[in-house]
Amino acid sequence: MSTPSVNRESGLSRTAAMAVMLLLAVYFLLPIYFLIVAATKPQGDLASTNGLTFSHFDLFDNLRVLFTRSDGIFGRWAVNTVLYAVLGAAVGTMISALCGYALAKFRFRGREFLFSVILGGVLVPTTALALPLFLLFSATGIVNTYFAVFLPSIVSPFGVYLARIFANAAVPQELIESARLDGAGEFRTFFSVAFKLMTPALVTIFLFQFVAIWNNFFLPMVMLQKESLFPITLGLYQWNGQTARAPLLQESVITGSLVSIVPVIVVFVLLQRFWRTGLAAGSLK
Amino acid sequence: MSSTVTRMRLAAVATAASVAVLAGCSSPAPADGTSAASCEPAKGKVTLQYWNTVPGMDKVVDLWNKKNPDIQVETKNISNDQYGTLGNALKAGKAPDLAQVGYDELPNLRTQNAFVDASACSAATAAKSKFVPWTWSQTSFGGTGVFALPQDTGPMALYVRSDLFEKHGIAIPTTWDAYAAAAQQLHKADPDLSITFFDPNNAEWFNGLLWQNSSEMYSYSGDQWHVTVESDQSKQVAGYWQKLISDKLVRTDLANGSTQMYAAYQKDQVASYVGAAWGYSMFRDNLPKQAGKWSIVPMPTWGSNGASGDWGGSTVAFMKGGKHLHESVKFNTWLNSDPEALAMENELGGLYPAADAGLRLPALSKGVPYYNNEKIFDVFADSSKKIDTSFTWGPTQKTVNLALQDAMAKAAAGDGTLDDALAAAQAAALKSMKDQAIPAAAGK
Repeated sequence: MSTPSVNRESGLSRTAAMAVMLLLAVYFLLPIYFLIVAATKPQGDLASTNGLTFSHFDLFDNLRVLFTRSDGIFGRWAVNTVLYAVLGAAVGTMISALCGYALAKFRFRGREFLFSVILGGVLVPTTALALPLFLLFSATGIVNTYFAVFLPSIVSPFGVYLARIFANAAVPQELIESARLDGAGEFRTFFSVAFKLMTPALVTIFLFQFVAIWNNFFLPMVMLQKESLFPITLGLYQWNGQTARAPLLQESVITGSLVSIVPVIVVFVLLQRFWRTGLAAGSLK
Repeated sequence: MSSTVTRMRLAAVATAASVAVLAGCSSPAPADGTSAASCEPAKGKVTLQYWNTVPGMDKVVDLWNKKNPDIQVETKNISNDQYGTLGNALKAGKAPDLAQVGYDELPNLRTQNAFVDASACSAATAAKSKFVPWTWSQTSFGGTGVFALPQDTGPMALYVRSDLFEKHGIAIPTTWDAYAAAAQQLHKADPDLSITFFDPNNAEWFNGLLWQNSSEMYSYSGDQWHVTVESDQSKQVAGYWQKLISDKLVRTDLANGSTQMYAAYQKDQVASYVGAAWGYSMFRDNLPKQAGKWSIVPMPTWGSNGASGDWGGSTVAFMKGGKHLHESVKFNTWLNSDPEALAMENELGGLYPAADAGLRLPALSKGVPYYNNEKIFDVFADSSKKIDTSFTWGPTQKTVNLALQDAMAKAAAGDGTLDDALAAAQAAALKSMKDQAIPAAAGK
């Protein structure tokens, strides 16, 4: 008779854990499943058939209608969203990396105070900033331009916070010293030594920013009036407001929602490896 | 509209309001005066701004722009937060030349001095003959000027599942008394079947019913408003629906245009719909399987009073600050009475025109396949002509509607009655006017 291994869980607790996780998985995936089902239906089946079972498979027709409606404005919104999200996240990550690195590796007067102020920024929800920003931008005359959405998107206090912690953890002081001894300037040191070491962390920040900008709704709603500048979120919202007069818009709103989540899923799957390493590095400190 | 939509609008209005507060703008002059406007034609090319909520309106404007190189029009869709956007623009002095304003919101904006009187332009006053009579009395405020041109209307009618009525051997009701009797018979024949639903979150709809019974809720004379939301006529309507609700003959759990509403119709649980002209596409597009089962008949009447009611519809208003009144009148008149423009608005935006010419559009004189090829628009055109012209909206209609909805929801839940809802609306009307320093008194 062998002694049971100490760290082996009982079958019951394993099953219970699995059951809870399965339940949660279903809970989280159900809305996406509904969205997929609804996007394949013609408008007439949306209300009149069971929401969780397929009826006519009209996905391709729905997609064609979606992309040709109002001279293909949806395609324009998609391009805008990609521009806002990719450029905004890239520039935002770069700024966060520079700030975080500086805060971690340089000693200067007021460093901790500055860091505290930035941490305070994490606590202010972006929604609360939208209105003050609107007034600011209104006075400078860049309301209703690409910049009105782009500029606020590249600022991320949380990114700076993460970058500082990652820089502390991933970039040894000795390496920086030796780079300096070899005659590298500060920027050279950052870009060819620190930047590479921080890559997993930077991917994490990029993803955070990318998702935040992609899903951003309130800021564009406050800033933009011209339809041709809208991101998908705002465009779909506008369509949704018109369904009383044009009922067929509803199916396009649903199909558009499905289309809009696909890139986020793709980016996550592609960058998943980095994402995990990055989170782990952060949790150590 | 569903309650979620209403809530989202509220949130948007609140947001817009806070923008205005933050901007530190002063409140608008409450005066009712109108600035004397001149109707000089502009020299050279002008560009007009026109804000609206109509799907496809940019296409209609493209057509105008092609034909009129000297009067170019730019559109902006403000379908989310229509009045918040307009209100902010007015306060900032950046209002467009022309904007879409619902009939029920006209008195409010006029009280805030948001319009210019276009009656200096003979073309504007001459447009009177082009529109269905009741709409002109709304936009001219009883002939005191021309502040907007009517665009679309929502004359009401009864949508009926003729197959269900036939199945149970019940004649399609032509009076409200017969409608109540039919409600009972249908329910008796099939306990799962209700004749219609009462949407407690839809004051606009209920107002349409009050309008039909000549309930004059407001009037303006002697430099003050007279509030008669609570009147014998309105109490008759409220009592009628209260009885249907108490007897559980109508459902109160469905919101207009909601998925639940369509599902209930799909399952043959509801046999009729008290609706407006713009609703015909809702059933056609959301319940295609019921093609051929629906008919549209005139609204049941109150005894021998053959009047009808209106639910929804909009005008295109001349906004304060517009510098090109002559050109605005020209465009506005074309937009709302030219058959080609009206046909596009009907096709793309689902608008049911306020212009007589619109009622004669080819698309509105044909039978509609979904409705058994019946000429349903003849019913709406007839309804349109029977709408009481003396009906007036109050200057704080949105506030009153919210109070009405709150009390209607309570009544639907068995807490209070629709009579109480009228009393709440009456009180809310007087209070909100007092809060805004608008002179008002109860009673005629």
